[in-house]
Amino acid sequence: MKNFIFGFLTIIAVLAIGSLGYLRLGLAEVQADVTAPVWESQLAQLAVKAAVRRSVARVQDPMLPTDENLIAAGKLYLNVCAGCHGKPGKARGNPVGYPPPPQFFQAGTKLSEPELCWIVKHGIRNTGMSAYGPFYTDEKMWSLAAFVKRMNNLPPTVLEGIQTKNP
Amino acid sequence: MKNFIVGAIAAIGVTFVGTLVYLGLGLAPVGADAKPPAWEGGLMYSTVHASVRRRAPKMQSPLPPTNETVIAGGKLYMDDCGGCHGPPGGPATKYPTTFYPQVPQFPSVGTQYSEAEVFWVAKHGIRRTGMFPQGSDYTDAELWSLSAFITRIKNLSPGVLQGIQRQSK
Repeated sequence: MKNFIFGFLTIIAVLAIGSLGYLRLGLAEVQADVTAPVWESQLAQLAVKAAVRRSVARVQDPMLPTDENLIAAGKLYLNVCAGCHGKPGKARGNPVGYPPPPQFFQAGTKLSEPELCWIVKHGIRNTGMSAYGPFYTDEKMWSLAAFVKRMNNLPPTVLEGIQTKNP
Repeated sequence: MKNFIVGAIAAIGVTFVGTLVYLGLGLAPVGADAKPPAWEGGLMYSTVHASVRRRAPKMQSPLPPTNETVIAGGKLYMDDCGGCHGPPGGPATKYPTTFYPQVPQFPSVGTQYSEAEVFWVAKHGIRRTGMFPQGSDYTDAELWSLSAFITRIKNLSPGVLQGIQRQSK
């Protein structure tokens, strides 16, 4: 039993010191212009989804997504989000970043509206997704979530509406 | 000895399974609107700098260190970097605190990176941060001028500052 504990603690120490040494010697890759290995991106996505699901209050979307709301949110999306997440019809050919930002117009999203709203508000750490809570009202972020969720099934009037400039 | 090995294998198993359970249950905090604890921030910054030091080109900037070079870099900085990293002389933006890890504010803190290191980071980005690679949007010469500007950002002559503002769109 004594040897068991000794072996256990030895490995814990080796892991801790090994990780620190690996990081401090500069052996960790940091460049962002390569694609993440599949196991890493899947594990990261799994962890993010699980954590967001846990954080989100079980509430229904409080806003009725009228065409008007969707158009307003779509304009906000084009101004603020599209640079990284892609525009309708011309998704960014080569999404940059590590992890790369999801291209909603190609892939849609499996996240629910409350989950999308939470992510817009709080951001996701260790990614390029910053928090927008300090800049927008909850209402705006809810309508943005409604827009992103419906992005690949927008009625033509909404699609036209978001392309026209505000007078 | 047998027990020692069993203990060692158990430690590996516990670490591995424990990590997966922690992540899979959603226990890892993911919100970016928090300040990293000092130990985490310090470890992240030292890891990145150690890695960049190892990978940055072992060379001096190929550009002459003239005011023209610095002004050209400053113009790029104002167009594409200042939004997050802070404009020289201007009020700090709110953006740095909305990223995790936070964005370094060069006009107030400067940088400890060499010109070649700044060049490398601008070109390749830093993974798991908001720092995207810029290598496909800019030429190497443009990025060298940018690094000339950033490494001097705390000691800009009035002539350079004026030159940047005059030329900026």
